[in-house]
Order: sequence, then structure tokens, then C-alpha cells
Amino acid sequence: MPGIVAPLIVHSVPCQNYIQIIGESLFQRAFINTLSFTLVASFLEVFLGVLLAFLLYTRFFGKKAASLIIIFPMIISTMVICAVWQTFFHYDIGLFNYVLRSFGLSPVGWLTNQDVALFSIILVDIWQWTPFAFLIIQAGMSSIPTELFEAAKIDGAGSSQIAFKITLPILSSQILLVLMLRTLDTFRLFDKVYAQTQGGPANATQTLSLFIYREGFSFFNFGRVSAASVITLFFVSFLALFYVRKLLKEEE
Amino acid sequence: MYKLRRYLRRVLFFLVLASFLAVILVPIYWMLNTSVKNPREVISPIPTFFPHEPTLSNYSKVFQAGIWRNFLNTIIVAVSATLASIVLAFLSAYALVRYRFPWKINRLFLIWVLVVRILPPIVLAVPLFTIFNQAGLINTLPGLIVAFQIYTLPYSVWIIYGFIKSLPVEFEESATIDGASPFKVLTAIVEPLVRTGVIATSIFSLILAWNEFLFALLFVRTPRLLTLPVVVSRYIGEYTTQWGELMAIGLLATLPILIFSNFVYRQLTEGFSMSLK
Repeated sequence: MPGIVAPLIVHSVPCQNYIQIIGESLFQRAFINTLSFTLVASFLEVFLGVLLAFLLYTRFFGKKAASLIIIFPMIISTMVICAVWQTFFHYDIGLFNYVLRSFGLSPVGWLTNQDVALFSIILVDIWQWTPFAFLIIQAGMSSIPTELFEAAKIDGAGSSQIAFKITLPILSSQILLVLMLRTLDTFRLFDKVYAQTQGGPANATQTLSLFIYREGFSFFNFGRVSAASVITLFFVSFLALFYVRKLLKEEE
Repeated sequence: MYKLRRYLRRVLFFLVLASFLAVILVPIYWMLNTSVKNPREVISPIPTFFPHEPTLSNYSKVFQAGIWRNFLNTIIVAVSATLASIVLAFLSAYALVRYRFPWKINRLFLIWVLVVRILPPIVLAVPLFTIFNQAGLINTLPGLIVAFQIYTLPYSVWIIYGFIKSLPVEFEESATIDGASPFKVLTAIVEPLVRTGVIATSIFSLILAWNEFLFALLFVRTPRLLTLPVVVSRYIGEYTTQWGELMAIGLLATLPILIFSNFVYRQLTEGFSMSLK
């Protein structure tokens, strides 16, 4: 068992593991990547979710079928989704680069270019989880009494005025809720990078979860795992507290 | 003029909607499309939008490789994990709502459960691995069922808690006066009243357990015992261009839920609007 190795490490400096990993560029990279992924993905998902919910609020033929199709991505397994996007992202035979080439543009290394890889992963996450944001916001929207909109219309409010002054403020607690759930979920990003990039190229998609996974299950460095876990925990609780306080304020 | 503007708006609306739906449907169609192509067509540099010679050979190949075994594992684990969660969550939620705990332990419990839900699972994986190792649960399906509770139980407790909390206590009181046992009150009165919540919750947790990847990857190593998501991930890693087979497995893994999606959708929306209240 790897546990035998542990006593050989001499703990002379208190918090040695913390000081060590915080100073490491790999950990810093993982931290920054996780944070940027979380921020960009969760905000875009909620933004698109709100947009979709507004779009589907109007009555039209086939509305039920459309909302049914919209939730498809969130019920498909992440691994299957990664597999499909793999066929899009492939440099030589992928669909995306085929489209780019046929427009005379130069192909992009979707998962192999350092500057692009993280955005490709974000794209996959947005495709998968915007439906979730849509679902919760739609549920919130359907509980708004229609009289409110009618009264506003009679008072001469335009549709954009109704959206910004009535609908969005009423939806704010649902929006906060989805934002919180998506923030906490994106912060644990593991399976997409594990399957699609393994953290590469050149650690451009390294994340905190992947860092902990490698330290624990490849190098068996349990001291470093604990240190990285505690730092992660600290940030997750910070994020959660931030949202929970806002949500509670909202309810008052 | 007014009519024309309205007409244009309508057209714009459907264009935007159609493009959203296309973005959602193209990857799903691509999965189907690739799964019936032959290996040569799959790796051609010019992707074909319709398979030239549709073939089911990918499907027969993955079945020959023993995919049904992994399929069965996934069903066993997902269904048992869900059942366990629902029973545990129903009983504990009922106790949390009705029983008077000293020092508000019930609130502490609810928050603690939420904390488990908030933690990144990888943080729990290392300590859990050590415990499971000692308990002999590594590389077993029951071990996975226990591990999946980390995902499914917090959800279930919170949603069912909300449903039970909204019930008036009078029904249960009068049943108790009429001489019903606590078990009878639970099964004959409380359960039917919160059934929508229970169904919505079980669908949630079924999807979660069906798709769970991290613990399935870490706690099971024998190929015979793997669940579908891990099998898919191995295909992504090992045979980078065996896309036909990969998509066939993907579609097979997705189909059960896609078929039920109409039902799922209704339960999800009901579950959400109820839990939001």
C-alpha cells in the first residue's frame, strides 16, 4: 500500500504541503482554469437559459415538442456527450474543421491548441447544461400570474420594459438559484477534461479536480491531496455562502 | 405596416428557435449518423451527413464485445441506488419534518446533507476509497450503489423534505387517532400524498446514477463490472477513431432515457415547480 511511503516524508515545516502546492505553477494553473471555466460557463448557461425561457414563453404550435427537445442534452451521459464532441473537435476529420475548411478558413486545434482547448470544454458544458438553467427558469416563469403582464400592457409598457422591470426581477431568485447550482457544479469540472484532453495541451485544461485525482490516484501523495482538497473546499464554501446569503436576502 | 412588422417578428422568432433546436439536435443526429457508418467512411476527411452504406456492424461488434454485461451493471446500480435513496430519503425526510429533535439537530442535518452535495466529489473520493478498501467494497457493484448515495441522497432528502413539509398534519393525526400504526400512516397516507415528489425525485436520481462517472471510474476496475459511462470513456481514450462503435455504445446508453424523456420532462418540470415553492 502507498501508505507505507508516507512516514518517510519528514514534516519539519508546519503546513508544508500547503506552502508547496500554492507555490507550484501546476496548481496555480489548475486553480485559474477552474475559476475561469466556472465563471464563463455558469454565466453563459444562465444567460442562454433565460433567453430560451423568454423565447418559449410565447404560445406557438409545437411548443411542447420544442421544450422536450431542449432538455435532451441534460439527460445524456457526460461521457457520451464528450464522445460526440470528440468527433466534432478532431483536427483532421472533425466536423468543425471540415466546415471551416469548406469556407476557406484555416482549421483550429479545438482540443490541441493551448488558447482554445478550455473554450472548447466550456462549449461542451454550455451545450449540456443550458437546458438545466432553462428548465428551472421556465418553471419560475410559468408561476408568474399573467394578470401582471396584462396590467403592465394596459399601463402602456413595452415588451422590453415588461421583461426588464417585471419578469426579470420576479425571476431573480430562480436565476440566483441556477447560478449557484451551476457555479458549484462547474467548479468540480473533472469528467470532460479527463475524457477529452487529460488536462492538456501543456496544462491548458488542468483543473483542481484533475489535480487532486492525479495526486491521489496516480502519485498517492495523500498529504498533498488533503491540502489541495482543503483549499478547494475553502473556495467552494465561499462561493456557496455568497449565493446562499443572497438567496436568503432575496426571500425576505 | 403593422401587420408586416408582426409577420417579420414571427419569422424572426421561428428562425431563432430553429437555430437553437438545430444546435441541440445536430450532435444527437451526428451520434446516430456515425453509428451506422462503416469504419472507412467514419475516418474520411469529408464528413458525410448521410451514411452512404448504412450498416449495423458497429452495433453487432459492441454486443460481441460484451456490452450487454455493462448495460446490465448500469441498470442494476442505477436502479438499486435510486431505490435505496428514495426509501432512506422518504423515511428521514418524514422524521425531519414531523419529529421534534432536540437542539434543532434536524436543521443541522439538512445543512450537512447540503454540504455533501456542494463538495466536489473528488474531495470525497480519496477518503472514501480508503474506507471502501477496508470494507471490501472496492470493485463491487454494491460498493458503487453505496458510493452513488453521495450524489442521489442529498437531492432526494431535500426534494422529498419540501413535499412532506407542505402537507397538513391533520390527516396523519386523525389516522393515528383511528388506531393506525406509524408504518401504516407512512405507507397509506403520507406516501400517496407526496407521490409526485417521489416520482420526480426518483427520475432525478436515476439520471444521476445512470450517468455517474467519477466513482464508477475509481472504485471499479474489472472490465466485467464497469458501467456504461466508463466503457465509453475507455473507447474515447484507447481507440481514438473507432467512432462508429463509440457512437453505437453512446446511443445505446442514451436510448433508455431518451425514450422516457417525455415522461421525464413532465416529472422534471413538476418536480422543479414544486420544489421552488
